[in-house]
Amino acid sequence: MFILKNAWISIKRNKGRNILIGIIILIIACACTITLAIKNTAVDLINSYKNAYDKEVTISFNRANMMKDFDPSQEESRENARERFDNIESFTISDVESFADSKYIESYYYTYSVGLNGNNIEKAEIESNNDMPNGFGRGKQNNLSSTDFTLTGYSSLDAMSEFINGTYTMNEITDNAWDIAFDGNYVFINEELASYNDLNLNDKIKLASDDGNTYEFEIIGIFKENEEGSTDAMSMFSNSANTLVTNASAAINITASNEEINATINPTFIIDSYDNIEKLQDEFYEKGLDENFVLQTNEEEANSGVSSIQNINSFATTFLVITLIIGGIVLFVINMINIRERKYEIGVLRTIGISKFKLTMQFVSELVIVSVVALILGACIGAVSSKGVSNSLLESEINSSNERTVEIGKNFGGANMNGGMPDRGNRGEMRGKGMPVVEAYDSIDAVVDIKVLLELLGIGISLVLVSSIASMVSIERFSPLTILKERS
Amino acid sequence: MANKVKNNKEIKEKNNSSNNIILSIKNASYRYSDAKEDDYALRDVSFDFESGKMYAIRGRSGTGKTTLLSLISGLERCTEGEIIFDGKSLKDMNLDKYRNSDIGIVFQSYNLLPFMTASENIVLSMDVSGLKIKKKKEKAIELMEKVGLKETYADRRVLRLSGGEQQRVAIARSLSYNPKIILADEPTGNLDKQTETEILEIFKKLAHKENKCVIIVTHSQNVCDNVDVIYDLKKSKEEEKK
Repeated sequence: MFILKNAWISIKRNKGRNILIGIIILIIACACTITLAIKNTAVDLINSYKNAYDKEVTISFNRANMMKDFDPSQEESRENARERFDNIESFTISDVESFADSKYIESYYYTYSVGLNGNNIEKAEIESNNDMPNGFGRGKQNNLSSTDFTLTGYSSLDAMSEFINGTYTMNEITDNAWDIAFDGNYVFINEELASYNDLNLNDKIKLASDDGNTYEFEIIGIFKENEEGSTDAMSMFSNSANTLVTNASAAINITASNEEINATINPTFIIDSYDNIEKLQDEFYEKGLDENFVLQTNEEEANSGVSSIQNINSFATTFLVITLIIGGIVLFVINMINIRERKYEIGVLRTIGISKFKLTMQFVSELVIVSVVALILGACIGAVSSKGVSNSLLESEINSSNERTVEIGKNFGGANMNGGMPDRGNRGEMRGKGMPVVEAYDSIDAVVDIKVLLELLGIGISLVLVSSIASMVSIERFSPLTILKERS
Repeated sequence: MANKVKNNKEIKEKNNSSNNIILSIKNASYRYSDAKEDDYALRDVSFDFESGKMYAIRGRSGTGKTTLLSLISGLERCTEGEIIFDGKSLKDMNLDKYRNSDIGIVFQSYNLLPFMTASENIVLSMDVSGLKIKKKKEKAIELMEKVGLKETYADRRVLRLSGGEQQRVAIARSLSYNPKIILADEPTGNLDKQTETEILEIFKKLAHKENKCVIIVTHSQNVCDNVDVIYDLKKSKEEEKK
């Protein structure tokens, strides 16, 4: 107890020195609070951002493997390459289901496209143009260019990437469109096709396969393709003018009855971790995936979105380390000077029998008392200062995610349109590609939270210990009698 | 040095006859850690000290007075030989505890903490010794009165006291935990004749009325004239005065 009493007397006696130490610790505490708050906010944002991205795996051609030993100048080499391409074994719906049955895969979705001709509608066309999406057909590689229309079936809302990324935007939609879209013969059609054939919502269209079977679909939505989505400058129609959007079941049902109908499958698998991609690829090969295919992830895309926040995080870390090193050195030096000034006091106290440990504790206590006061003040000032910086960082991200949410909603015909926002089923919250989870930041004031305070406490203890080394070493080395004789 | 050693041994044999020995120095030698092998600051010294007596350790500069003071006060340990306090070797004792309970030290330059008042200096010493009494300040004032200082001095900063007054405070501080030995290093070196006499009277009372063992390291003849026993480090000769 007398150690604390002496420490307090000493603090009051050496006001100037202790105020100086206090100011230094205050500055360190302020800087640390701000950087820790920014750092933690940045880390939260990065995690949130990455979580918002589904870890997606798609199957694509291994072009490097296919072009191996290819010499375009030699006819034989060209012929071999062509033959190799033609002989690639593609995969079916059952293959996709088999691939998806893996411990590394959380869920999957796919698009299933079928080529059909019009029965009571005409293809929107001025010049010959068919626009099948890239995909992997049933059996050998094939194309669907001989048919008028492409019926693209999506297995779920998540599969509707063109609507999520804004390539397609819903213009008109029936009230119950999203209630029935995935359960029956319903289609969304391009506004150009609707205009070309004078079609409206709830009209029924008939499509026919090459074998003469007809299939009737009801129009429940009309979408448009945004201009930037068009890739054919020579066509007056957009790429998707003859694309009919339906659900995967409807598309699969058409091909189920006729093996000869051409179809393409584009699966997307949601995995638990990017780290398992090689194991997953090996598993796919074991399950029969042709080795001319490889698995690709969206990791690069996910990481690119957070690079600026990662830079802020790195800068904050560097700033924190530099602040601590400089602060630690300054405190150490001040304490060295302090101890030298108080050699006489140390000598007297040691002579009257105070132990080295208790004496050290007295000096540490003085520093702890000053540090605690300075840290509390520093944390408060830092909290106020960091709030503005971190909140602006957060707000820009929140605004951007809000805008993205609204934008995706509009693409699906939501917000102020009939039909409202679709519920994306088992995915729970409204998440999309690059959409941070907005709900995580409803309490924006919690910038300096308990985590930051604990980190600050750890920093404070470390600083006190580092700067106390001077007093510990000096008290151990000083000979009390020598000190007192020097004084005399 | 050889002559001194011989004389010190003679003293040791003579003192062994006493039964009231509180402190015994047995063939104590001290050599600094960086000194040459044969370069001793103090060599083969043997003295005995009894309770109720006042001793002077006399010697010229370089004879090892301060070194002996360090050894007796437990600020250093003997490199050879040993010091026995109340039947126990200092080697086996906690020297911090020894200094804050068993021996009171008074210095020529008082060595009080200047930022504290007279009573705070005394109370601090009580705190360090772990003394468990409630009214420490009253006890401090009592001790100050015992050494001739009025109560009004209690709350004065020590720097506002005269040399003699500071030395009285230092003596009061050394008495704060009722030690068996008072060790004083030139306690009157900075004082005038009158004050010196008054301080010596205090020491005499402590030795003769309170049965303390008072050891004064000095080269003052006046001090030597007032003590019961003189140990001469130079000549290593014990002189019974009374």
